[in-house]
Amino acid sequence: MTVVSAFLVPGSPLPYLRQDNAPWQPLAAGYEKVREALRASRPDALLIYSTQWFAVLDQLWQARPHLTGEHVDENWYEYGDLTIDLRSDTDLVDACIAGCADIGIRAKGVNYDHFPVDTGTIVANNFVNPGGKIPLVIAANNLYHGPGETEKLAAMAVEQADKQGKRLAVLAIGGLSAAYFDEEIDIAEDRIRHDADDAANRQLLDALANGDRRSASEALGRFNETTKADMGMKHLSWLFGATGDFKGAQLHAYGPTYGAGAAVVEFNL
Amino acid sequence: MSQGKIVGGFVAPHPPHLVYGENPPQNEARSEGGWEPLRWAYERARKSLEEMKPDVLLVHSPHWQTLVGHHFLGVPHLEGKSVDPIFSNLFRYKFSLDVDVELAEACCQEAAAMGLTTKMMRNPKFRVDYGTITTLHMIRPQWDIPIVGISANNSPYYLSVDEGVEQMDTLGVATRKAIEKSGKRAVLLASNTFSHWHFHEEPDVPEDMSREHPQSYEGYKWDMKMIELMRQGNLKEVMRLFPQWVEEAFAEVKSGAFPWMLSAMGYPEIPAELHGYGTVIGTGNAVMEWNLEKAAARDAAVA
Repeated sequence: MTVVSAFLVPGSPLPYLRQDNAPWQPLAAGYEKVREALRASRPDALLIYSTQWFAVLDQLWQARPHLTGEHVDENWYEYGDLTIDLRSDTDLVDACIAGCADIGIRAKGVNYDHFPVDTGTIVANNFVNPGGKIPLVIAANNLYHGPGETEKLAAMAVEQADKQGKRLAVLAIGGLSAAYFDEEIDIAEDRIRHDADDAANRQLLDALANGDRRSASEALGRFNETTKADMGMKHLSWLFGATGDFKGAQLHAYGPTYGAGAAVVEFNL
Repeated sequence: MSQGKIVGGFVAPHPPHLVYGENPPQNEARSEGGWEPLRWAYERARKSLEEMKPDVLLVHSPHWQTLVGHHFLGVPHLEGKSVDPIFSNLFRYKFSLDVDVELAEACCQEAAAMGLTTKMMRNPKFRVDYGTITTLHMIRPQWDIPIVGISANNSPYYLSVDEGVEQMDTLGVATRKAIEKSGKRAVLLASNTFSHWHFHEEPDVPEDMSREHPQSYEGYKWDMKMIELMRQGNLKEVMRLFPQWVEEAFAEVKSGAFPWMLSAMGYPEIPAELHGYGTVIGTGNAVMEWNLEKAAARDAAVA
């Protein structure tokens, strides 16, 4: 089996930078469970898709062998800095770039120092892969790709890993409902902004926990119709495309990130 | 202290391709040129800016997008290497800029007093967005004038275009009040493209101008219509059509810089000067100037 584990995790830096804040503690604790599960699955590489790394021309892949530095989020800069320590599986990245041509998508790698890696990727890597021990394959979120192309890209990446005989863990980084508070709040009182969003989030999470890809895809369609979701939940499309199917999931955490919904989910493969 | 004033404003779009085409020493990527008409438009704008003798440049950029309110750079000096996350093959630029923190704080306070959510950005490691840097480089490559950097609040996208414009109108008035109290001569920079329909694949040689043209004829027609209204000084009609322009041309002015600048200048009914128009990966870009001081001098001479 190529894909040995798969997770949905939030890209907000808030649970990472302020783990002492009660509403965000469950998400940080959920991330700890993912770290343990990830280690237990013994992957050779971590396949990452974050809603926060945008591309508009071509499909971009992170090709820098080792990225280090510090990152300051453009919104949450007052909560602190994020340390960057990412290593890429460049052989697999190169194969994914070449593989894009086979599915009719132009692609290229980015290999530059000081590249502004997105907050979601940094947060997730720091939580589950401290020190960057597991090499990464990071794909950008091309804003013009729909769920179908996103699934195809993820499936292609898994196929390339399979050809290289590698065990792959999948990390889908993004939120759920995207309605945040647009005024200052007391972060100790953070909650899902709208009750309807809270209900929709819970329905989707229930469908993931108790369903398979087909039923979860149907639930995702309903979710996107009724809820202003994070990037149309393309990070879940990525996960679906990579895993092919799954048999339910474990919900490790659910909570708010400044009004928006977020969850930590481990999928049963 | 004499009363400060806004001496002029520019639409100053920020495609990093323009910096790439110019090959300044600060940018690591090298090109064979490209996008000359737009770069020459900026050359004309640079001359006008020089004559304006501003004490400070205020820039509003769509690529510092903030969720909670309107943010202002609040660190006296910022420097580093800015790599564009989308066009990293073209833009890897070493920047060093000075911020007029005093004026930024005044703008922040005035806007808060008028009911907007505002915040000062005080983290010295903050990475200035490439929109701000590109606009500032293209209009003043010497980097010798302090700046005020203003974020683009997400309200036009998160709420509605009308609500977004309302916020930008308030932010513009607050900016003007702060400038008037400061005693400084200020120039405003609206860092945005007009029609934003673009190609989705990059040519092998990015500066191959045989591949450059408007991506959308509809977008082009909208840009020409709006530019002509601006050249006529008919900003009432520009703002009446604004939501339709945003919708039908996917215009980046939606992000707020343009209405902020017009509001700060008091929607001047004077002809704007078009320094040049051109496309970048198919998007419509105009470099335009409203010279308020020259217009006032002309009015005084007539009177």
